[in-house]
Amino acid sequence: MTHMLQATMIVAAVVLLAHAPASAQEREPIDVASLGPQVGEKIPDFALPDQYGRIRTLDTIMGEQGAMLVFHRSADW
Amino acid sequence: MELQERLGELQAQGLGVAAISYDSQEVLAAFAERKDVKDVPLLSDDDSSAIRAFGIYNHVAEEGIGPNKDDEDVKADVAQYVSVFGANPMIVGTPFPGTFIVDREGRVTSRFFEEFYRERNTAANIMLKLGSPLSGISGSSGETAHLEIAASQSNPDITVGSRFHLALDITPKANMHVYAPGADDLGYQVIGLSLDMPSFLRALPAEYPASEIYHFEPLDERVPVYLRPFRLVQEIVVEGDPESTARLAEIDALTLTGRLDYQACDDRVCFNPASVPLTWTLAVQSLDRTRALQQD
Repeated sequence: MTHMLQATMIVAAVVLLAHAPASAQEREPIDVASLGPQVGEKIPDFALPDQYGRIRTLDTIMGEQGAMLVFHRSADW
Repeated sequence: MELQERLGELQAQGLGVAAISYDSQEVLAAFAERKDVKDVPLLSDDDSSAIRAFGIYNHVAEEGIGPNKDDEDVKADVAQYVSVFGANPMIVGTPFPGTFIVDREGRVTSRFFEEFYRERNTAANIMLKLGSPLSGISGSSGETAHLEIAASQSNPDITVGSRFHLALDITPKANMHVYAPGADDLGYQVIGLSLDMPSFLRALPAEYPASEIYHFEPLDERVPVYLRPFRLVQEIVVEGDPESTARLAEIDALTLTGRLDYQACDDRVCFNPASVPLTWTLAVQSLDRTRALQQD
């Protein structure tokens, strides 16, 4: 991921936070099924270090048929 | 770690695998060392930027310690999506947990996210749902006058929130058939698994494969049946509420008992309903809480 893209995403996140509802009464119900890329959509690029410090992208993880990406809360608690 | 143990099988099905969390690389290195996770990439997203880019950042963790933390809706969401023990700052930065399966182009082909943060599919459960089951952990097997029955389970061990499955591979003996859902309308007993469930487990509706219609000539009836080998799957969720968690913490293994009830017929005779006792043994793992705050 480029720094520019990363910076854009941080700005986007800040803007989102600034527009978060001020009052809890306005909260939208959460629907985890609607969060993140849906079936048929492309996932965003990523470049993250693994447990050995090697930078990994989707390309380096990809198998012949595809990949399974598991998002955990924490490996550690 | 299940992904490490099943990596070879997942790769054999052509899937690359990675686990992503907000842990630092140092934390992941220590975890990998402790759990002997050599081959599954554990990716460190320690500023949650990828988690945010994916759109699965858990904002409720922040709300739970923010100005609206005493709001009843926020509290309810915290209990469902953050922690049954209430919010704490350590959870800020985490995603809503879940799994994406993507194709070679990076397009999502399926996704698995649960409504309660503690519940998640085991990899074996996901592969079963994708129609590419991993090898089951073999359990008891046996036969009756009508059927051969082999029991298996998706995972050798379970923990709080696991979604796993039990399976029965059933082979009717020569000329024998048993009844599929729908046959009950004609007065036949549909084959079914009953489990003696402890309170900390929840069974989802059993999954039946497609059946075929059998013409029973003596009565000129057309009935949905299984004539060929088939598999019954029972998905089970380990509850994540505090009481269940406390009960699970007291045991390190679990024997699940149940019965397969069925009625079998051949092309001439219908036999009396039968019941076969079954057992499955599962190890119970405590949650890995090496760095956890005491109350969570």
